[in-house]
Amino acid sequence: MAKPEYALKNQAKHQVQPLTKYQRLKRDKWLYLMLIPGLAYFLIFKYTPMWGVLIAFKDYSPFLGFWDSPWVGMDHFRNFFQNPDFFRLLRNTLYLAVLDLVFFFPAPIILALMLNELRFTFYKRTIQTLIYVPHFMSWVIVASMTYLFFTAGSGAINMLVENVTGKQINFLSAPEWFRPLIMLQIIWKETGWGTVIFLAALAGVSQEQYEAAIVDGAGRLRRLWHVTLPAIRSTIIILLILRLGNFLDTGFQQIFLMTNSLNREVADVFDTYVYFVGITQGAYSYSTAVGLFKAVVGIILILGANKLAKKMGQNGIF
Amino acid sequence: MKSILKTRFGVFTLSVLFLVSTVMSACSPTEETNQSTTESDTDRLEINIMTTAYSPEPPSDDSPALKGIEDYTDTDITMHWVLDNAYEDKLNITMASGELPEIMMIPNKMPSFINAVRNGAFWELGPYLDDYPNLKESNEIVLNNMSIDGKVYGVYRARPLGRLGVTIRKDWLEHLDLDIPKTIDEFYHVLKAFKEQDPNGSGQDDTYGMVVSKYNGPWDIMQTWFGAPNKWGEDPNGQLIPDFTTDEYMEALRFFKKLYDEGLVNEDFAVMDPLEWGDPIVNGEAGVIVDVLDRGHRAQEDIQEINPDIEDPIDVFGAVEGPKGLRHLPTSGYSGMLAIPKTSVQTEEHLRQILTFIDKLNDAEPQIFAQNGVEGRHFEIQDGELVELDNGNNQLVYEKQDLNQFIAFIPENRFHEPEQTPLRVKEQEIMEANEAIVVPNPAEALISEVYSQRGQQLDNIINDARIKFIVGQIDEAGFQDAVDLWYKSGGEAYVNEINEQYQAIQN
Repeated sequence: MAKPEYALKNQAKHQVQPLTKYQRLKRDKWLYLMLIPGLAYFLIFKYTPMWGVLIAFKDYSPFLGFWDSPWVGMDHFRNFFQNPDFFRLLRNTLYLAVLDLVFFFPAPIILALMLNELRFTFYKRTIQTLIYVPHFMSWVIVASMTYLFFTAGSGAINMLVENVTGKQINFLSAPEWFRPLIMLQIIWKETGWGTVIFLAALAGVSQEQYEAAIVDGAGRLRRLWHVTLPAIRSTIIILLILRLGNFLDTGFQQIFLMTNSLNREVADVFDTYVYFVGITQGAYSYSTAVGLFKAVVGIILILGANKLAKKMGQNGIF
Repeated sequence: MKSILKTRFGVFTLSVLFLVSTVMSACSPTEETNQSTTESDTDRLEINIMTTAYSPEPPSDDSPALKGIEDYTDTDITMHWVLDNAYEDKLNITMASGELPEIMMIPNKMPSFINAVRNGAFWELGPYLDDYPNLKESNEIVLNNMSIDGKVYGVYRARPLGRLGVTIRKDWLEHLDLDIPKTIDEFYHVLKAFKEQDPNGSGQDDTYGMVVSKYNGPWDIMQTWFGAPNKWGEDPNGQLIPDFTTDEYMEALRFFKKLYDEGLVNEDFAVMDPLEWGDPIVNGEAGVIVDVLDRGHRAQEDIQEINPDIEDPIDVFGAVEGPKGLRHLPTSGYSGMLAIPKTSVQTEEHLRQILTFIDKLNDAEPQIFAQNGVEGRHFEIQDGELVELDNGNNQLVYEKQDLNQFIAFIPENRFHEPEQTPLRVKEQEIMEANEAIVVPNPAEALISEVYSQRGQQLDNIINDARIKFIVGQIDEAGFQDAVDLWYKSGGEAYVNEINEQYQAIQN
């Protein structure tokens, strides 16, 4: 798209006579004023609470208060890494995180590509709206629906399985079914919502490229491969980097609601552990240390992925 | 939108709007609290109480029954109701926040409470109890059970020690011509008959013996029948050992496994929500439930509500006889305690006011308000018998239900008891009879440092292993592995700590 003429003119003028800092401040004062609420929000609600992570290095007790609780240095971290729980938690968390990347991450992309191929706008719009709905359900509802469908004895899915195979499967309590169920839930709930960004990116692909590709004799799949995918590649990569930042976040509620005595072995992850230790046992410092460890891993992953993306000639996020 | 943004005025208005909304949202909570304090009477003692709610609509501040209690005790009560299933979480978060009510119901000796007590966050009430006419009648055994490091930090909410037992479908027994089981063997045969001999006469295989849920209580109760100790047993050298290391415990586990393998308990018990636990009894799928005895009359009333033709569907009994005779798992004699935090009650004078209030709640009048409601509105006394006027009227029921959740009922119940059906009378008798056969937990009053830090994980290891063994995920060797893991994960230090304290008391 060509820039409007007046913009070019303005640019030219500024190149001749650069404005001083003060002049620019004065010119854009309303923009700066608009920045204030946003800055205030991050300062008050995001940065101020951050010094609370210092309790990871203290033996914090709410009744002594922050200042009177004794410093203990890296003790909580050392305890955590030496704990027999550590490797189990790490294994379970990584397992779910990798499954999430392999199965859930591509799902919205595929769905968005499929939606993009639809001809009738009305039909497409309706489907788009409908697939957002599960996103607005709470995990509690998703979990109870899962229980209803999969429970042994009276669950609809289990009845179906029984009719086909003659045997029921203990989906809810068998450890080997825990991960598939979690993946199924998250794909069911979030795939539709995840298409929003990709559909927006797809809307920006110019029709001319498709027309050119058709003239060159490209079929549907060829067009998908050579026009559509390259067009949304940078969006995919940015979202992938952002996802890596939360790599160890498995989500608390979903896992917590699906955990029981029989699958705890594979269900315990950092998020639920922080809750159990921090909230139910009142070990605030210890659980903060665990949470901090998770955050540090997240930062390392995000920086690494960003660097890698830039090396491969893509735009990173910073 | 674009045209608004273009004008300077528009930009200004928008940014002001942003600012205002940020400030407003930050301020609104304080505004609300200010309002509620100005509305209340200023001369009355203000008391905030946090406790459990079981009803979906716990009494609001203008419930007439609550007003009655306020007038009797000359206080201004603000209730902080928390639904029971979220209570411990909410409690821990509240404790961490440091903004505490004057009276907090603590459901059990949970680790975070013990930690808080050790940090001096709660008043020690032991020395004060004797100064109050009702509270001084507290039961010594219960006080000992609830104590932390030998000291008492709350007023307990009294419950019968022998409250646990078995509820059984009497009509099914009669239909199959069976008697109430007396021994473990007979118990097994009843369950088997309930599964296989069509006790409801439907002609279909639609029943099973006993319903169990995610809640571990039933297994704990039943393993006592087999002679397993109550959490801690003594070995021949006088050392305390955990119950799951005993042979009797394993014996019980094998029995449970047999029940599961033969389909005598519900297959999905490990994932069943305890809230749905009673349903299979009421709708005629299962015949036995092992829980508190008062479940008996509740089940009876529920069954009769659906099917008024069934005359007397439920019976109850305390225990069945095992290799060591009749044995009964006692409750701790209390269900939670009312504790007083030092951050909200800072002076001894204030503490005395709160204690006077808690004491007065045990008089007959507040007990009646809390349990029966307001006379003429919720109930009437006709010929000395209680007549409930709010039956079936939820609006009225919700005005008073749950108000008993902050009353200690020490030394006794003084409210109007409902008409004593034969079943309720029997429940009472069994509860009393149970007290003679209770198996005490020798370590009930002992507090372990390790347990208060890692108790949840330790308990999970054994409870999970027990469930896994019952459903056949692990065998006996697998269970031993779990026991080893328990010892490695802090159990060993826990056992040592408990034994040190135990020896100290013995001498």
